[in-house]
Amino acid sequence: MSTPRVGIIGIGQSVFQRRREDANYPDLVREATVLAMDDCDLSFEQIDAVVYSLSPDAMVGIGNAERLGVDAVGAKNKPFLRINTGGATGISSVAAAYYHIAAGACDTVLTAGADKVGECGDSQTVLNKIWDPTYERQLPLGTISMLAMSGVRYAHKYGMSEEDMARVVVKNRSHSARNPNAHLNKPTTIEEVMASRYIAWPIKLMDCCPQSSGGGAMVLASEKFIKQNNLDAVWITGVGHSSETYWMGDRMGRGQTADHADAHALAQSFKRCYQMAGITDPKMQVDVAELYSPFSNTEFHAIEAAGLAGLGESVSGMRDGEYELGGRIPVSPSGGTLCTNAIAVTAMIRVAEAALQVWNRAGDRQVPGAKVGIANGNGGDHQFFGTMVVEA
Amino acid sequence: MFGHNQVGVIGVAIQPSISVGERSLEEILFDLTHESLTDAGVKIDEVDGIVVGANDQYDGRAISVMMASGAMGGVERDILSTPSAGEHAFVLGALRVATGQFATQLVAAWSPTEASSLAEVQRLAADPYYTRRLPIDENASHALQASVLEHSVPGLTDTAQAIVRKNREQGAAAYPDLPSNESNGSGVRNPWPLRDRMIAPPVTGCVGLILASEDFIRERGIADVAWIQGMGWATEPSFLGDRDLGTLPGLRAAAKQAYRHAGVDDPGSAFNVGEVADQTPYQELLAYEGLGVCDRESWATAATNGDFAAGGRMPINLSGGALSFNPVFCTGLIRIAEVANQIRRKAGSHQKPGAEWGVAHAASGFAMQYNTVAVFGRGRQEAQ
Repeated sequence: MSTPRVGIIGIGQSVFQRRREDANYPDLVREATVLAMDDCDLSFEQIDAVVYSLSPDAMVGIGNAERLGVDAVGAKNKPFLRINTGGATGISSVAAAYYHIAAGACDTVLTAGADKVGECGDSQTVLNKIWDPTYERQLPLGTISMLAMSGVRYAHKYGMSEEDMARVVVKNRSHSARNPNAHLNKPTTIEEVMASRYIAWPIKLMDCCPQSSGGGAMVLASEKFIKQNNLDAVWITGVGHSSETYWMGDRMGRGQTADHADAHALAQSFKRCYQMAGITDPKMQVDVAELYSPFSNTEFHAIEAAGLAGLGESVSGMRDGEYELGGRIPVSPSGGTLCTNAIAVTAMIRVAEAALQVWNRAGDRQVPGAKVGIANGNGGDHQFFGTMVVEA
Repeated sequence: MFGHNQVGVIGVAIQPSISVGERSLEEILFDLTHESLTDAGVKIDEVDGIVVGANDQYDGRAISVMMASGAMGGVERDILSTPSAGEHAFVLGALRVATGQFATQLVAAWSPTEASSLAEVQRLAADPYYTRRLPIDENASHALQASVLEHSVPGLTDTAQAIVRKNREQGAAAYPDLPSNESNGSGVRNPWPLRDRMIAPPVTGCVGLILASEDFIRERGIADVAWIQGMGWATEPSFLGDRDLGTLPGLRAAAKQAYRHAGVDDPGSAFNVGEVADQTPYQELLAYEGLGVCDRESWATAATNGDFAAGGRMPINLSGGALSFNPVFCTGLIRIAEVANQIRRKAGSHQKPGAEWGVAHAASGFAMQYNTVAVFGRGRQEAQ
């Protein structure tokens, strides 16, 4: 039996900011939920189930905080569960909602969440707790130092310079200036990025994503429901996940299971979702990409893992402007994770932005004529990877 | 049938109370995975994906699935994690197989007890503005629920104590090699009105299941299968103050879903065996009512007659339930695994002879906020 198609019919996202002192945590979830429900013009009675998107609870300071969000997402007495795959949580939640419908168990599923990263004190202190308490947690590991090591390795293998990293920031800021929901939306220059202070060499302050607060929500529906209710939709045609080893040391040195320069499991995840979507030549078939790159250097290996460039080739592509709006394959026309990172929903926003593109609803950041979009999310210590293909 | 494709449980590993010894949690999960795969007769290479129920707060880690992934074969595999409840891993794993996009799933949950204070961990789940200053933890919430029931059903304490005796006796028979559960909880000071031994002390435990598609099961010629006939899951509202703790509309909603899929019209006579949430005996009573197998007016009579005891009309918690072994975060998934084993005729010393249909109920959160119901049968259903 072939799997029935699953469509995206509603999208809601906050205007992301550092702090949202006007809204408590459930308020933020509610904000995005209402926007998504209004977008598809459904009532809560028409929603069969809810998938809640929340990464580490410690970021909002409430254990199992999804329990406090039940009312905000209208889930009382309904099927409800939460996903947590770290930074990949948002796309994993969309995937879980997709499975509800593709399984035939539901016709309509809301997935929603929010985060208050900008109000958590210091996200890196929380994120240090993802590492093994015995062997690695004592090191000053955070997600920045973790991916700085990837950057050093990538630069060694493929010749990426710090100016190349800055070029990614300049591109994404020029994109986020067109996105009214983006947190960091002021255009910048290579000189300005290069003048910012080091956080973990070679990553500088402006090579880093911000700590954002805000919510995201999406409504998915079965093809049958969409047709019966004459709804407008775009379609999820590929879904994939894959993961790498937990251990940082296993990605470095002799005997490594994967090279920390690259994004081995992300490439595998893309391969899975491309196979499902029937994409054999992503360079030719993909019109727009929303890639999860919280630090400038990681956009290079993400582009390559997505098959939009060969290993090490995205650096020259970036210099040539291939990934800018107007370029060969625009990457993160929303400004991407580099400009907005409310961790619990960041990867969901990647899917939402790809959907808006192929829906021709992306406003000033629209890629003209985009029909096939891809998105991904990364979680853990660059360990969990979710990918998706969205088509008009 | 709950989805487009039939899903069966083909492998189960249940460790309701583990003596940790020198093993790390990773080693425990490695062993659990091996045991689950061995029971199913499949190799890790045949596992398409993994879904775990992993709770950061209990594990003392952020994103605790990270640690589990390697030990469970997650590297280069599609692995997802749900922290809301161990039993939700079963729901998501079953949904994934039902899509037809996965032939198999490994589903697992665990419960370490190394946190210095589980009560403090649980209190952090309370709303930080309104309720966290109260001495609220899950046991306190269960006690609030018990007090509401005591108020509405006269003489309920005796019935509740009969449930404790039943489950403790069944637990001792089911797992005679585990440390004696007869004294578990004796002398532990429980929040009123919970009496002596009405909550078993937390222990470390874990559980794993292998789910498979109809095609995989047929191609492999697997005989001992617990087919998922129906599945439902639902949540109560966020705040205890917004609920009538003496009823569980969320459980009724979950049961309604599961029974609709399974074609169960008369749950009172449909099942040969059941496993239900019993963090306290009052939970088991609420489960009887929510599952439609016994209304509250008949609770006392049913307990007196032994309707739900071994040898009764529908034995419930032949494993001893959480009143015997209480690995707090994975008790729900254990209930599901126990019923699956009953239907597979692999429940060992606590096997209900001839079990054809069974129902599992799991509850998690303050005063049973999340409820999950799974109906298993020995025969596969015809596509509808």
